[in-house]
Amino acid sequence: MAPIEILDPTVEPRHQPLTYVPRPDSLKGKRVGLVENTKFNSDRLLHRIGELLINEYGAAECKMWRKHNASVPAHAEIIEEAKRSVDVIVAGIGD
Amino acid sequence: MTTTFASKRHVVADLAQAMDLCYERGWTDGLPVVPPTEPAVGRMLDAVGLEPDAQLAFITNRQVAVTAEKVAINAVMAGCLPEYMPVVVAAVEAIADPRWGYHGPATSTGGAGPLLIVNGPIARRLEMNCEDNLFGPGWRSNATIGRAIRLVMRNVIGTLPGLLDRGTLGHPGKYTYVIAENEAESPWIPLHVQRGCQPGESAVTVLAAEAPRQWYNQLSSTPEGVLRTVCDDMRHHNSTNGQPQYVLVLAGEHMRTIANGGWSKADIQKFVFENTQNSVAHIKRMERLAGAVTPQDETTMRPLLAQADDVLVVAAGGRAGAFSSYIPGWAGGRRSSQAVTKVIQDRRA
Repeated sequence: MAPIEILDPTVEPRHQPLTYVPRPDSLKGKRVGLVENTKFNSDRLLHRIGELLINEYGAAECKMWRKHNASVPAHAEIIEEAKRSVDVIVAGIGD
Repeated sequence: MTTTFASKRHVVADLAQAMDLCYERGWTDGLPVVPPTEPAVGRMLDAVGLEPDAQLAFITNRQVAVTAEKVAINAVMAGCLPEYMPVVVAAVEAIADPRWGYHGPATSTGGAGPLLIVNGPIARRLEMNCEDNLFGPGWRSNATIGRAIRLVMRNVIGTLPGLLDRGTLGHPGKYTYVIAENEAESPWIPLHVQRGCQPGESAVTVLAAEAPRQWYNQLSSTPEGVLRTVCDDMRHHNSTNGQPQYVLVLAGEHMRTIANGGWSKADIQKFVFENTQNSVAHIKRMERLAGAVTPQDETTMRPLLAQADDVLVVAAGGRAGAFSSYIPGWAGGRRSSQAVTKVIQDRRA
């Protein structure tokens, strides 16, 4: 039987593959962004996480943004501001 | 066509090994796939008159361009016939439309799947099922067109369970979820015409959707009586706090009862909109809204839907049996995701 050649169904990156930024070794002195998704209690949960990151892990500061709603990606203003002003981001759901 | 394909090639000894390779690489939905050989992929593209490098869609959040070549490869794998390709292409365009909002419904814990509703002459030409066992197995076009969309989502756009598909439960429609409207027997305006297409055109409407929910009413012989049953069900279902849009699929018996009462689709939409409202007090008591119940909450009504048009009425399903179904869409507002209707084009010169 003759061999079969098949075409790959997945996408090969044409330019530059998208990868995650490496996680920092430590949160000491890092500026933390919190992205709140509007679900009930998500702001309280993230505030608490922010406090823990400052008090127990030495993060320098926390600031929070609020998405338009839970079902959409963070909007452009959040992303642009986060790129300028924080080192790491925590996004969470409240339910 | 030989030199025009950009995709990487894999050589295996035989058919069985080709199918195994697709499993090993994680390219299937769990069922075996048809190995995508070059001639088969070429036939798919010829049928739709597209060059391999034609970009059909761009998914912004993933920064992924979806080319005709990749769609054709995945359509072969899904088991599509070449003549199904125009429907697959239109559905890919629909899920990439910003109004559909790909990232949300594809990724959310809510576990939606793309529901395709096909209208127009192509549905009959492809022998798409619009009658008995509407959501069930047995029709190649229904089964493989929806499967092709899922494989594109998986293999091209990276919507992988546990990674960028985080559905808590998902549902069986995430394998394939395709119906046609029974225009031959429907007394009403077809869905795509109601949504702006011309009567002679073919179109696919794609909604990010939960699983279908069946309901029963064998007693009533009036439109109000039949629809009151489904409104009660819709009003009380606990899919977040209501979805932005719903599909109401009316099968043969209910379709005839409602039509015999002289009701149009617009009448049905208006009735459903008006009869699916809940008091804020009820929503709070059912733990769907935070806060203590106030006296005012008892008389403050909250509509399930923003407007009557958000009920997409479709005539489909078997002739016998007093069953119909409704299908909740996905997410808390039109800003997140809404149904998109695309004309199915014949691009061949």
